Amino acid sequence: MPAGRHKSRTLRRVSRKTPGAKTTLQYKKRKPSKAKCGMCGAVLSGVPRERPKKMQNISKTKKRPERPFGGVLCPKCMRKIIKESIRE
Amino acid sequence: MIEIGRLCVKLAGRDAGKKCVIADVLDKNFVLIDGETRRRKCNIRHLEPLKDMIKIKKGAASSEISAEFKKLGIEVKETKKKEKAEKPKKLRGKDKKPSEEKPKKEKKKADKKEKPAEKKEAPKKETKKEEPKKK
Repeated sequence: MPAGRHKSRTLRRVSRKTPGAKTTLQYKKRKPSKAKCGMCGAVLSGVPRERPKKMQNISKTKKRPERPFGGVLCPKCMRKIIKESIRE
Repeated sequence: MIEIGRLCVKLAGRDAGKKCVIADVLDKNFVLIDGETRRRKCNIRHLEPLKDMIKIKKGAASSEISAEFKKLGIEVKETKKKEKAEKPKKLRGKDKKPSEEKPKKEKKKADKKEKPAEKKEAPKKETKKEEPKKK
């Protein structure tokens, strides 16, 4: 039987092989939700989905696309904003 | 709208939002651009044409274009060309320093010869000693 604190699904379950060739259940924290566009809410590509401690070790250029508003807006919304700023 | 000398704003990629000029029309879909952006081939769909025009020749050099941009009050960053670093030369024969490498090799060989006799006893003891430290 799992321990009482492991019965709820707040932690995700990962089965791992031990060095002795047995499989054990490990309990790990869940990943944060996917990054979304600030204007339209579309899921952003090119933004990794990791816990903050792991995000520290990823380089800045791997955490977001290298364009203005990269990692904040989707490319469609970014184009809209640029076009609007030109036409004013 | 798409013609040589037309000022545009780039909409896609890392140069998005920067101004450029069409230096050449290559194709139905593609043009050569230069200016604040890198000098590169670009799809028309990735450009937003502006009202203004600049007088330049077909395929004008980037130095001419940057001069025209300065007249408009847009500053173009000048990129420096990277100078090639010299390759490190391998020293051989007489030029090689004799003192650095020779003594190391002698040591390794000496260790290997000594080890096999002790191996059967020694490693077991070491592993047992190491485990409790980790815990």
